[in-house]
Amino acid sequence: MLRILILWIALLGPLVQASRITDSIVRIQSTSLEPDYKTPWNPGNVNSGAGTGFVIGGNWIMTNAHVVSNARFLTVFKEGAPQPWVARVAHVAHDCDLALLTVEEQEFFEGIAPLEFGGVPAIESIVSVYGYPIGGKRPSVTRGIVSRVDFQTYIHSGIDAHLAVQIDAAINPGNSGGPVLQDGKVVGVAFQGYRGDVAQNVGYMIPTPVVTRFLEDVKDGTYDRYMDLALNYEPLLNPAARRAFGLPDDNRGVRVSSIYATGSSDGIVQPGDVLLAIDGLEISSDGTIPIDANGPVPLTEVVERKFKGDTVVLDVLRAGKKKTLEVPLNSPWPFTLQGNAYDEKPRFVLFGGLIFQPADRNFMDAHDPGNQRLNYIFSYFVDDEIHKKIAEPVVIAGILPDPVNSYAGEFLYVPVESINGDPIRSIDDVAAAFAKPMEHHVISFVGDERPIVLERGLVAEARPRILERYGVTSEQNLKK
Amino acid sequence: MNFLVIPFLLLFLVSTPAADPVGAPSSQVAANGLRDSILRVNSTNQGYDFFQPWIKKESVNRRGVGALIEGGRILVTAELVENSTLIELEKADEPGKVTASIELIDFDCNLALLRPDDAAFLQGMTPLALETGLGSGDMASVLQLEPNGELAKTTGRISSVTIGGYPALNLGLLVFKLSAPLQQRDWSFTLPVVRNDRLCGMVMRYDSRNQTSDLIPPPVIAHFLKEASSERYRGFSRLGVSFSPLRDPQLRRYLGLEQQGGIYVKQVAPRSAAETAGLQKGDVILSVNGYGLDQDGNYTDPDFGKILFSHLTNTRMHPGDVCDVEILRDRKPVTLSVTTAVPDEDARPSRLHSGGRAPKYVVLGGLVFLELSRDYLKEWGGNWQNKAPQRLVYFDTFQDELPPDRGRIVILSQVLPSPGTIGYEQLENLIVTRVNGREIKSLEDLAEAADNPESGFQKIEFEEDPKMIFLDAGWIQEANAELMEHYGLPSLQRL
Repeated sequence: MLRILILWIALLGPLVQASRITDSIVRIQSTSLEPDYKTPWNPGNVNSGAGTGFVIGGNWIMTNAHVVSNARFLTVFKEGAPQPWVARVAHVAHDCDLALLTVEEQEFFEGIAPLEFGGVPAIESIVSVYGYPIGGKRPSVTRGIVSRVDFQTYIHSGIDAHLAVQIDAAINPGNSGGPVLQDGKVVGVAFQGYRGDVAQNVGYMIPTPVVTRFLEDVKDGTYDRYMDLALNYEPLLNPAARRAFGLPDDNRGVRVSSIYATGSSDGIVQPGDVLLAIDGLEISSDGTIPIDANGPVPLTEVVERKFKGDTVVLDVLRAGKKKTLEVPLNSPWPFTLQGNAYDEKPRFVLFGGLIFQPADRNFMDAHDPGNQRLNYIFSYFVDDEIHKKIAEPVVIAGILPDPVNSYAGEFLYVPVESINGDPIRSIDDVAAAFAKPMEHHVISFVGDERPIVLERGLVAEARPRILERYGVTSEQNLKK
Repeated sequence: MNFLVIPFLLLFLVSTPAADPVGAPSSQVAANGLRDSILRVNSTNQGYDFFQPWIKKESVNRRGVGALIEGGRILVTAELVENSTLIELEKADEPGKVTASIELIDFDCNLALLRPDDAAFLQGMTPLALETGLGSGDMASVLQLEPNGELAKTTGRISSVTIGGYPALNLGLLVFKLSAPLQQRDWSFTLPVVRNDRLCGMVMRYDSRNQTSDLIPPPVIAHFLKEASSERYRGFSRLGVSFSPLRDPQLRRYLGLEQQGGIYVKQVAPRSAAETAGLQKGDVILSVNGYGLDQDGNYTDPDFGKILFSHLTNTRMHPGDVCDVEILRDRKPVTLSVTTAVPDEDARPSRLHSGGRAPKYVVLGGLVFLELSRDYLKEWGGNWQNKAPQRLVYFDTFQDELPPDRGRIVILSQVLPSPGTIGYEQLENLIVTRVNGREIKSLEDLAEAADNPESGFQKIEFEEDPKMIFLDAGWIQEANAELMEHYGLPSLQRL
């Protein structure tokens, strides 16, 4: 629900003219190519949008990932100067909605004092938001107080939640990527909010712990993403449950209910383990830890602040015995199928006029298929461990009508199970199956469906006809 | 089982409708006209609340017109008297009401037989005989009653004969569509249809935009009445196959189909007649009892022409009848002998229709357990397929694909919070796998398992997170009385 209610701030903002406010804040103009998941061989739609960025130490421009996603051409404008400077994305972190841009011409940075970062601002303290939002051509400043510090879903990816700070200063389309300042230091990056018809004066900024983690992560030249324990835990509040597990009545500990295969904890932590402490911090029976002065936060905050290759130490109770487990954080959250993806090309295979596509989040958003079976596979891909069987569901996403496929219409969005008996676990398998020289290609579907049979001869005959008639420029793309 | 059988059934045998001369004017209907053969039926219906199965919802009144048939019984639609708490009969032009009871109800064919509690009420009335032999293009008249008791007769033409449209979702029975503009009278469209003063259908639905009525046609009524007069009511059988038309020439060539027609078996329902007979996914059905099937599954019926073959197996045949099904399997012709049967709906993992029966439930220390059913999911309203919990919708929709020994799907529907359920308040719609180590395949299993707590705890396991919870068994015993009082539970279980 959250995803629907929250409005993108940056890309929806109209283009505004550059104007002077402080030397360190820039207007970013982005021309992006939005991939077309309905005609995947087409390059996509050209969009333009505007956002805000600010110069930080090391000659970087910091902004939101969503300001520069799918960008093909980026220009930045210093306030008051009409000259556009061509910029490019150096690092982008879609899981925490941050990006760093560079400008080749070093004279761009001349005379600009990079902004410095502060800490997490106190509740009720006053902050100022700088940026180039809707409502005028010159830069704007709005003021407000810090309303709340809490975990929030970052809607750019849709599947990641990190610390975020809610402020009541007006944040509007175009503000995205702009700095939020207190006492002359950056305490956050404005990034998302609610539309006025949903909630009043609720805007969010990415706080400095998240920003500094991003800057630390990219120091080695690559962004490794957030790490994840990839497990689910349940609170241990019920007294009967505590006694059944042999736990004292001390309000400590949570029970691990499930572990995701291929995640960091797989093979180390077991379902049923009671987590008592993480990196020495006592875990309360509702799963929170006292990590700093801001009050209790979910135990995952420990992992939030770590990097690839770091280790998390867990004190657990397993079968009544205390154990200390070391979990090396080697893999980020392994299931990106359900998250928004950017800077990717739609993958597809066209065969006999049938367009096969993997059903990831981008696909689901573009097509909104009403197929109950596909919706289940997508929604429960992780929870019901469907990921153990397939890497991604593959469906017939569209049909280019031709006599060769006259009777395939009923199979739109039905997940494909196998082709010629070869199981289909990803779009690559579809390409491989059709590459085999078979007289008949028999496409079988998940559940109670008849197969589609395509005769090699008829497909070959139809191929030039389909390509020409529908202006198809490419018959497959397997690369993201 | 979507029907109830009340004793005394055998005391009143109907004459088989087929014995009546087709189309002959009835001598039974006296000068007084059809008014002496029809009755107003007022039914007060009160369904159960599947979220809180111990309470009933607000009652609704439904009115209709029933047809008196032989044996002192009144034929109405099943929908009219579904979940009825009180049924009253009224004559067209005489004051006075009499209560009535349901003698037999079958939601598959949407028909019910009522019997007045005072048999003398029907004195002087004339039963309607069943008309047969009509089909597409014939005229028929819908009977309604004016407030003053006058008969309102609207005549129209039967425009089509098709299969489907009954409340039972997994059974396709014959339907007549009648084109005739009906006026809203008594807010009801349970109405008898006559031709030649003989009963030839019951209206079950009226589409005011197209001015067409869906009628339960004579073959379905005749089948229902024949079953009603037999020693044990069995109802309408199902073959238990879902199929796909075989129009695609590429698929036909691949399957080695040289002849015309034939349909592709997509799925064989578990526990069905087809499964027992050995039909398999991928078989091509060529003919049933010698009737060849076209590529869409139609055969040529002697009465109605081209219609879906299910009419043959579910209405023309009675449960227990044997039919020969000719199939093509791996390019070889095989003939299977299928004994038609009414599947045991109670064996379904999720029931499709409650048939008006009270839903089962068990309340264990404030945890409300139910068996998953379509009626439960429908509590989410019109768009339940999207609004109800998606995992439950999936298991209900695709239940025929579950392992054959899956049993019923038992769920933790909600938690009535109390001191013993601290930490569990948010749990809802979880599928129960085990209780105290015992596998749960029905609510009865759960009730029995709960009688044997493990070292003082009720241990409940779920398919979903949190996977496992505990309750203090001793506390449950102590808290039951208070729980019943706080939440107004008349009893802690109904099985």
